[in-house]
Amino acid sequence: MSESVAPTGGSTRGPRAGASRAGRKVARNVGIPLLSIVLLLALWEAIVVVFHVAPYIAPRPRQAILAVTQNWSVLWPLTLGTIRETVYGFVTGAALGLTLGVVMAKVPVLQRLVYPVLVLSQAVPIIALAAPLVLILGFSVAPKVVIVAWIVFFPVTVNVLDGLSHVDRDLINLARVFGAPRWRTFLQIEIPATTTPLFSGLKIGATYAVTGAIIGELAASDGASLALYQEHANSNLNTAAVYGTTMLMTVIGISWFLLVVGAEVWATPWQRRSVARRHWWRRS
Amino acid sequence: MSPSLLELRDVGKVFGDTVALEPTTFSVDEGSFVAIVGPSGCGKSTLFNVIAGLLAPDSGAVVMNGSAVTGTTGHVGYMLQKDLLVPWRTVQDNITMAARLTRRVTDADRAEARRVAEQYGLGEFLNHYPSALSGGMRQRVAFMRTLVTHQPLLLLDEPFGALDAQTRLEMQQWLLQVWRDTGRTVLFITHDVDESLFLSDRVVVMSPRPGRIVADFANTLARPRTVDTLTDATFIELKSRVMHLLHGGTS
Repeated sequence: MSESVAPTGGSTRGPRAGASRAGRKVARNVGIPLLSIVLLLALWEAIVVVFHVAPYIAPRPRQAILAVTQNWSVLWPLTLGTIRETVYGFVTGAALGLTLGVVMAKVPVLQRLVYPVLVLSQAVPIIALAAPLVLILGFSVAPKVVIVAWIVFFPVTVNVLDGLSHVDRDLINLARVFGAPRWRTFLQIEIPATTTPLFSGLKIGATYAVTGAIIGELAASDGASLALYQEHANSNLNTAAVYGTTMLMTVIGISWFLLVVGAEVWATPWQRRSVARRHWWRRS
Repeated sequence: MSPSLLELRDVGKVFGDTVALEPTTFSVDEGSFVAIVGPSGCGKSTLFNVIAGLLAPDSGAVVMNGSAVTGTTGHVGYMLQKDLLVPWRTVQDNITMAARLTRRVTDADRAEARRVAEQYGLGEFLNHYPSALSGGMRQRVAFMRTLVTHQPLLLLDEPFGALDAQTRLEMQQWLLQVWRDTGRTVLFITHDVDESLFLSDRVVVMSPRPGRIVADFANTLARPRTVDTLTDATFIELKSRVMHLLHGGTS
């Protein structure tokens, strides 16, 4: 960020002070969460050492990480596969969720008709879905994508629906008084007003997306996948690899979540800034 | 006589068993500043929504510049106590909101927003988001958004109701200045008697159950109005008259 984010009025400190303040902010927003991860790993290490935990029960963090890095050439393509399933599934689920939310908000009859089905869909144990999905879609990437999308769409739909039905009536009336056609009111008022709930749904979806992909891999893989790699390591009593793979999956999950958070930060500058960014497409 | 910009002909509205507005006839001359004062439930907001076209009356007609606009929208500027600025748009983009909602925003729209904002002291805030502004500044932006619709009639429904007393007085004087500069016609709702007298050429008093007009008289206070106006003998006299009308008297 090149511009100052400080509210106007009385900022007489120089750019250097601004830079150090921005530095402190980064330290606070990135440093502290990183510190909590380091502390967690230290706690893990301490427990293993203090209680003399056997390596086949729990390895030290270092060993788990080494089990990943030393087999990176094998794990990287599997990781890519999981990422692909997560991303495809997430995008599909998000698009479906947004569409359903909008359609249901705009057509009350459909809302009453479809809502119970949506709730039902989430009551079905995901793992029980896998078998029929394999029968229908085979062992390809498709069943995993469907499972991820199945998990992701629901919080998106619920939040978008909620957001759209809570747009300020007075604001919509104001648009009417201006003589706005309904589609413009929808695009200019209702959709932007729903950005925050939309991202709430996306963030919930993002946290579960990788879990969905792994469940899909467990239930619907015949070849190589991260989930099967871990199962294989488990049956070989390679505990370090089991823990390492879990950490790898977690890292994928966190990265995806952070990416969605980043998208939200980018898409909603008004939440943090008092002055708009300058864009080449923005005319004044 | 100057021609009427707005005419209401026997406009009435009923909600269930409640007569929100008895059949009402009244007109507003071009360029005038009319204040409607009354307690809550007197039908002033119903009257407003009917004029704006948000509400279809059960009877009667709304006529603007000689043509009926009953139950249709897009013929007035409109502003409420809530500023209704959208948080995701800058001050400039909020000012051009009406254009954005009806057509493509042009460079001319943006230039006009800039000019108006600069003229009325918000030039430095064009690129700010509304969250960075004070309540008074936000109401000013909301008013500029109403102004650039170029509607001859501005409907203002307690626009300063949420502001503190000092800011409100400042905003009232500012509004009078803008009104003088632009020559628009203003219909101003308030429950504040002082405010109605301070601003208007004409005061319409409304009363509830059923909602109706109980008095309609010219406000003869000299312009320009200043802080001294508020303690002027005529002001006190008019105020006491309106107070009596609002609280049971009939004189």
